[in-house]
Amino acid sequence: MANVSTSANSAASTPMKLKVKQFQPAQTPTNTYLTDEKGVWAWLTTVDHKKIGLMYLGSVAFFFALAGFLAIALRTELWTPAKTFIEADTYNQLFTLHGAMMVFFVLVPSIPAALGNFILPMQLGAKDVAFPRLNLASFYIYVFGAIFTFLSLANNGFDTGWTFYTPYSSDTNSAGIIWVTLGVFILGFSSILTGTNFITTIHKLRAPGISWDRLPLNVWALYATSIIQVLATPVLAITILLLAMENILDIGIFDPALGGDPVLYQHFFWFYSHPAVYIMIVPGFGIISEVITTFSKKTIFGYWAIALSSLAIAFIGFLVWGHHMFTSGQSAVATTIFSFLTFLVGIPTGIKIFNWVATLYRGSISMKTPMLYVFIFIFLFSIGGFTGIMLGALSVDIHLHDTYYVVAHFHYVMMGGTLIALLAGLHYWWPKMTGKMYNEPLAKIAAGFIFIGFNVTFLPQFIMGAQGMPRRYYNYIDQFTPFHQTSTIGSYILALGFLIILYYLAHSLFKGKKAGPNPWNSRGLEWQSTSPPDFHNFSHTPVVIHGPYDYHQPIEEFQLGLAVEHGHGEKYLAADATGSEAAETTSA
Amino acid sequence: MANHSATHPKHVHHHFVDSNQQFESAKLGMWVFLVNEILFFGGLFCAYIIFRAWYPELFTQAALELNTFWGAVNTVVLIGSSLTVAMAIRSAQNNQKRGLEINLLITILLACVFLVIKYFEYEHKLHLGIAPGSFWNPTPEIAAVLDHPKANIFFGIYYMMTGVHGLHVIVGIGLMIWLYIRARKGHFNSEYYTPVEITGLYWHLVDLIWIFLFPLLYLIE
Amino acid sequence: MSEHHEHHIASAKQLWGIGIALLILTVLTVTVAGLGLPSPFDILTAMAIALTKAFLVAAFFMGLYWDTKFNSMLLIGALAFFILMVSITLLDTLYRDDIVPSF
Repeated sequence: MANVSTSANSAASTPMKLKVKQFQPAQTPTNTYLTDEKGVWAWLTTVDHKKIGLMYLGSVAFFFALAGFLAIALRTELWTPAKTFIEADTYNQLFTLHGAMMVFFVLVPSIPAALGNFILPMQLGAKDVAFPRLNLASFYIYVFGAIFTFLSLANNGFDTGWTFYTPYSSDTNSAGIIWVTLGVFILGFSSILTGTNFITTIHKLRAPGISWDRLPLNVWALYATSIIQVLATPVLAITILLLAMENILDIGIFDPALGGDPVLYQHFFWFYSHPAVYIMIVPGFGIISEVITTFSKKTIFGYWAIALSSLAIAFIGFLVWGHHMFTSGQSAVATTIFSFLTFLVGIPTGIKIFNWVATLYRGSISMKTPMLYVFIFIFLFSIGGFTGIMLGALSVDIHLHDTYYVVAHFHYVMMGGTLIALLAGLHYWWPKMTGKMYNEPLAKIAAGFIFIGFNVTFLPQFIMGAQGMPRRYYNYIDQFTPFHQTSTIGSYILALGFLIILYYLAHSLFKGKKAGPNPWNSRGLEWQSTSPPDFHNFSHTPVVIHGPYDYHQPIEEFQLGLAVEHGHGEKYLAADATGSEAAETTSA
Repeated sequence: MANHSATHPKHVHHHFVDSNQQFESAKLGMWVFLVNEILFFGGLFCAYIIFRAWYPELFTQAALELNTFWGAVNTVVLIGSSLTVAMAIRSAQNNQKRGLEINLLITILLACVFLVIKYFEYEHKLHLGIAPGSFWNPTPEIAAVLDHPKANIFFGIYYMMTGVHGLHVIVGIGLMIWLYIRARKGHFNSEYYTPVEITGLYWHLVDLIWIFLFPLLYLIE
Repeated sequence: MSEHHEHHIASAKQLWGIGIALLILTVLTVTVAGLGLPSPFDILTAMAIALTKAFLVAAFFMGLYWDTKFNSMLLIGALAFFILMVSITLLDTLYRDDIVPSF
């Protein structure tokens, strides 16, 4: 790359006579991953992690819009206590579809497969993920799974709720159930492949100098997520397979009419689906850690505490699944232990929140849009977390189980947590992904709409839930009308916020101002490449000599590392093993 | 742009530094995938343990319908195939093209023998009406011995476990045939035998699962 | 990570030895099952033999004995999570007030 200036560096005088450069990415790159190969076919067959990440992002956005549209329809139906404009059976199908799509098509792949795919190899200084073709395969498996779900709609649909509880799901004998369960089964493979890919990439493809203590916290979060994906998703696969067999062959393991045990299905299902909640939220934690340091201009407070608490959450997340089943008739011994273990999740989560707040302390905070979303995240996620603790308390849960209180709780965690973190990450890395800036004032206005709309939608649901409004009900008694109507109005405000985002991001794509390589003056490795990045992410192999959050030096004097010819990074380190800082650490 | 060094061997993909990094990555990836497989079968083993803890007498009764002799023969067959896969990897490491091909062929053959035996076991049971789920319709003689009300559950678990395992054997045969074709073309040598190695890992796992299935299903007296 | 990394090559003798050991253990487990040991011991011996066989396959056929420790950790981790799943589920199923009755 002609644009990279060569500087005389002490390390250049190694016996290897390698060309060593400072990171100085070009302001206006001539050749990027977007211009490297063009045309629809090149996109559909690409093995480039950045393009696959964008394809995931597009699909996730599509399904989010679709499932969001269903949510608006549901909220509109709930405007009046009786029928407003949808039949009861359709209503049941719509909320099931909303839940299943949001969980399996949006939340699970959103941050890891879309943003993670793009950012993870860049933060590691790798040219790609370890298995690029598997990465593309996982995208198509995802699409394939989605097609099965739509086929289900053409075959009577399904109205079991996204959890597919037996015996209802095995006794209705609807062809729709079989199709959708197969769809979820297939989607699971997509998730498994992504997790496998990420674990291998993090272990084996780190650039020279990126030791475990220089791993960005986003990578730690994705690592914890991948571990959950690999350990939990196969159990979902076998559960769903058994459920499909239950429907096709009546094998009876879960069906009480045939001698089986329906609660066993719930154990199997939640052994995946509770950890899956952490598949959704832990990557969000990673994004928050990245954004909060960049916009506080301060090193992260408690690096190891945050990194290890991700792993702790991943582990404890496997011990608490029974708190979804307090009213299912499981044994008193199990409920008591599950309730106790549930409280433990609060510890690592609290550690994270406190460390983020401590990072803000005396930081030089700039209130750009991503940072605004971080504050929204901390506020909303704390409410979601605290109400979760309440639901984990055994006696309280008996009262609140299957009410709107639960609905409000998981929307605060999943939407107020994961989706807000996704928005933070999207706004943070948008300039890197597209090379364009977006309209900052408009973005802040949209964030305001989303924050207000979200709270207006879901705060009333806590109250009516506590008063006894059950979830998934089509009709309700008159006393809940004001709460439902407030909630519905809130959902419209929320939708408006997302429409504004859609507008200015589309505008930015075509008419946005050019973003330099590092518009936020971040110290992260991904910002040391051009925007948008080179096809190989970096024109040279980076040799990192500093941590990802070294904000104590001004950006002009800061040097994250060196760049050496591709393919010589390892040799460079080996040859230089005596002197410079870069050699103190080895990779993989 | 792409700055491929001249020393990059042909089989090394562009995003790896060297052949060894690629080999180690592939192996790690396969092990992570095997973790998946273990938990996938883990669900079935879990169902087995739960129901056996509930109804121990059912398992003793129902296992009598399974033929220990043919189960043992299949165990030996799978162990033999594991040995030949290990030998195949050894041949590849030593650049023995012929040895690699022969060992892969024996493995495919043994895997087929396993499936044929399994087929006759299934056939025999289906003939007696010991079928999964809604096809459960045992002959009077069988019903007299197997009078447990939940006998169908044991066979539900049996068919799921052996069926899913059998599917893995079929996938394994497909992979071995693919390896054999590539071995014939001379794709593998001591420098590059990654597909043989990781397919071997997969095949050993299939063997491992059977090592547990055999005593759990057949050897309950 | 050096350029010239030697992969371990197991000798044919070693591999055949393991194969024969597995064969003997298979015969052993069938024989012991035929003895009809009293209740907990039959399953315990069967599982002990199966675990020994699994160890031989994982350590030598799959090469974990010569491999990086991390791969062994993955295998042990998977088993640990499987045991976790079973034991916590048993906390429910073994202590139910009444199990689901037959229909």
